[in-house]
Amino acid sequence: MAPADALEGPPELSGSLQLRHVDAGSCNGCELEIASSFGPVYDAERFGARLVASPRHADGLLVTGPVTKNMAAPLTKTLEATPRPRVVIAIGDCARNCGVFAGGYGVAGAVGDVVPVDVSVPGCPPEPTAIIEALRGITRR
Amino acid sequence: MAAALLCWGACGLEAAAAVRVLASGHPVVLRSAELLALTGVNIVLTPLGAFFVLLVAMVAVPATLHGIGYAPHGLSGRMAACTVPIFVTVLLLVPAAGSVATFMVLWELMALSSLALVLADQARRESVRSAGTWYAVITHVGAALILVAFLILAAHSGSQTFVALRTSARHLALPWRSLAFVVALVGFGSKAGVVPFHVWLPKAHPEAPSPVSALMSGAMVALGVYGIVLFGDVLLGGGPVWWWLVVLALGAASALYGSLYAASSTDLKRLLAYSTTDNVGLVLLALGASGLFAATRHPLLAALGMVGALVLLLNHAAFKGALFLSAGSVQTATGSRDLDQLGGLLRRMPQSGALFLVAAAAICALPPLNGFIGEWLLFQSLLHGVDIGNTAGDVAIPLAVAAMALTAGLTVVAFVKAAGIGFLGRPRSTGAESATEVPGTMRFAVGLLVGVCVVLGVLPTLILPAVERAVRAALPGVRQVTLTHGVGLQLVGLRGMLEPAALAAAIVAAVAGVTALRRILSRRPAPTVVEAWGCGRQLQTARMQYTATSFAEPVGRVFDDVLRPVHDLDISHAAESRYFVEAVSYRSAVDDSIERVLYRPPIAAVRRWGQLARHLQPGSVHRYLAYGFGALVVVLAAVAVLR
Repeated sequence: MAPADALEGPPELSGSLQLRHVDAGSCNGCELEIASSFGPVYDAERFGARLVASPRHADGLLVTGPVTKNMAAPLTKTLEATPRPRVVIAIGDCARNCGVFAGGYGVAGAVGDVVPVDVSVPGCPPEPTAIIEALRGITRR
Repeated sequence: MAAALLCWGACGLEAAAAVRVLASGHPVVLRSAELLALTGVNIVLTPLGAFFVLLVAMVAVPATLHGIGYAPHGLSGRMAACTVPIFVTVLLLVPAAGSVATFMVLWELMALSSLALVLADQARRESVRSAGTWYAVITHVGAALILVAFLILAAHSGSQTFVALRTSARHLALPWRSLAFVVALVGFGSKAGVVPFHVWLPKAHPEAPSPVSALMSGAMVALGVYGIVLFGDVLLGGGPVWWWLVVLALGAASALYGSLYAASSTDLKRLLAYSTTDNVGLVLLALGASGLFAATRHPLLAALGMVGALVLLLNHAAFKGALFLSAGSVQTATGSRDLDQLGGLLRRMPQSGALFLVAAAAICALPPLNGFIGEWLLFQSLLHGVDIGNTAGDVAIPLAVAAMALTAGLTVVAFVKAAGIGFLGRPRSTGAESATEVPGTMRFAVGLLVGVCVVLGVLPTLILPAVERAVRAALPGVRQVTLTHGVGLQLVGLRGMLEPAALAAAIVAAVAGVTALRRILSRRPAPTVVEAWGCGRQLQTARMQYTATSFAEPVGRVFDDVLRPVHDLDISHAAESRYFVEAVSYRSAVDDSIERVLYRPPIAAVRRWGQLARHLQPGSVHRYLAYGFGALVVVLAAVAVLR
C-alpha cells in the first residue's frame, strides 16, 4: 500500500467531511475502489467522510481519472460551486499524472493541471485502505 | 379618455351618495315614473347597497384609468369606448335598485354591456366568440331564474317594490319561500361564479380585455353575492337551516374547486378567474355560516359572519382588481398571458412586478395586508360557531374550517406559481425578453388598488364602521359586533382581538431589525454572485427552469381524481429501426371537470338533435310544399274524425 502524498486538510473539515465525487474521465477502476471504501467492509463513514449528491452540499471533491477535454470545464464549474473551506482529493494515478492515458488525444491533463489539488492518493487503482487513510488524514478521526 | 372621465364622474357622484347613506344610515330614495315605461324607475340606496356602490367605484376608477394605457390591445374602438361607461354606470346602479323591474332592467343591461366588452377582441381571436357564447347563455339563464324567483315573491305581494316584497314575504308559505330562495341562489350564483355554474369565468375572464376582467371579477361577481344577500337576508329575512347548509356546501365546493384549478392553471388570467371562484366560495362560506347562526338564534355570530363576508368581498375586489390589471400590464408588455412564455419580468418591469407581488401576498392572506383581515374575521366566526346546538350545523362548521384551511394552502401554491414562474427566473420567450415597463398611468392604476390592499390591511378600522352599518341593514335587530378602539379592533361578546397596525409595525420592525443585525454582526465576507448550479453543464437555457406545468405537477398528481389531466405522448421512430427516436411530442392539458361532466354531454345531445333536425330542412321547395300539404291533410283528417 502506497502512502498518500499529503495527509493535511483544512482544520475546519476535521470531524466531518462531505464529498462530491467527480469522474473526470476515469476507467471506472477507481470508482469501484471508492464504492468499496464506502461499502460495508471498509465503511469510510465511520471516520466522518460521506458522499453527497451535489457540490453545493459538499466540503470537497473526490476527483478520479485524467481530465478529458469535455470534462475540464464541468470540473472547474463543480469546484466553483463548492463552498469554502474546501478540499480537492485526486484519487488514483490517472488523476495525479494521467497514468496510461498520458498524451491521449482527448486528455486535457492531470487533475492538478485543471484545479488545485490538496491531497492525492496514488495507485492504479488505489486500495480502499489507501483512500480511507487519505480521508482520515483530513477528518482526523 | 372621454370614456374614463365619464366613468369617474359616475363613480364620484354615486360614491358621494353612498358615503352619505353609510354615514347617516338613512337610505336615499329616487323615483321617476317617466324614465322606464309601465313601471317607472325606483332607486333606493340602502346602507347595504351603498357598501356595494363603494366597492364598485373602488374597482372602476383604477380599471378605467388602466384602460387608457391598455387601449392598443383591446379597449380601442368606438364600441368599447361607449360600452365601458354604460357598464360602469349600471354596475353602480344595480345595488341601488329598489324594485323588481328596475333591478331586472339594470341587471340585464349589466349582462349585455359586459357581454359586448367580453367580445371586444372577437375580430382578433376565434376563442373570444366561444367564450362570449358560454357567458351569454349562462348569464341569461341565470337572469331568467332570478326573474322567476322575484315573480314568486311579487305574485304573493301584489307589488314589486323591495319594501313591499319584504313585508309580504314573511307570510309566504315555507315551500314557496324555499323554492324562491333556491332558484335565486342558482341565478345569482351563476353570476357570482359559484361551482357548478362557474364555467363561464375561466373562459370569459381570459378573453376579455384586462380592465374589463378586473371590473367583472372585482365588481360584477360581487353583485352576484349582493343578490344572494338581498334575496336570502333582506327580502326573505333568513330561513331554515338547510338553506344555509346548501350555501355553505356550495361555498366550500367553490373554494376548493377554484383554488385547485387555480393551482393547476398555466394561463395567468385563467388562474385569476379560477381564483375568483375560490374567493367567492369563501364569501359564500361566510354567508352560509352567517345564515346558519341566524337560523339557530346566534345573532352575534350571524352578524360577525356577515361582516366577514362583506370584508372578504371588498378585499377580493381590491387585490383581484390589482392582479387582473397587472395581468393586463404583462400582456401589454409581453404579448402573452401564458406563464410558460413569461419569466424574468421583475427585472424588466420592476414596479409592475413589485405591485403584482404585493397583491399576490394579499390574496394569500399574509399579514399585514387586507386578505389576512378578511380571513381572520371568517375564521373567528367559524371557530366561535363550532357549538351552536344544531347537529347538522355542528358537523358542517368544522368541515367548513377544514375546507378553508385547504383552500388557503392551494391559493398559496397558485400565487407562488404565478409570481415565481411569471416574474422570477429567466425569460422564456422573446416577448418576455424584450418586455419594458408599461406607461405610468397603468402602473398608477394598479398602485391605487394595491394601496387599498395595504391600507385595509393596516387600518381595517377605517371601514369596519361602514361595514357594520351595511350588515345592520341586511340583518335587522343586530347590534354592533366589532369595536374599534384607535387602530385595534375587538369582537364584542366573543373572545377575539386584533391589532393590525401593531402587527404591521412588528413585521416591519422585525424585517428591519434582522437586516440591520445581519449587516452589523455578520463577519462573513461579502457574498459572491455565481451562476446557478446546473450539474456542471456548459450552457444553461431558459428551458431548464421550472415551468408553470411542472411546478403544479405534484398538486395535479395528488388531486388526479378531480383534475383528470389529459396527457398525450407521441414518439415517432426512424424508419430504419425502432431504436432511433425521430421526435417526441408531449402535450398535457387540464380541462374543467365540471364542464366535461355536466355541460358537455347535454350540449353534445342538443347538437345531435340539431343535426337530425337538419334532415327535415334540406332546401328543397318540393319537400316544404309536401310538408304543408301533409299538415293540411292531417288537420283535415283530425277535424273529420273528431267532429
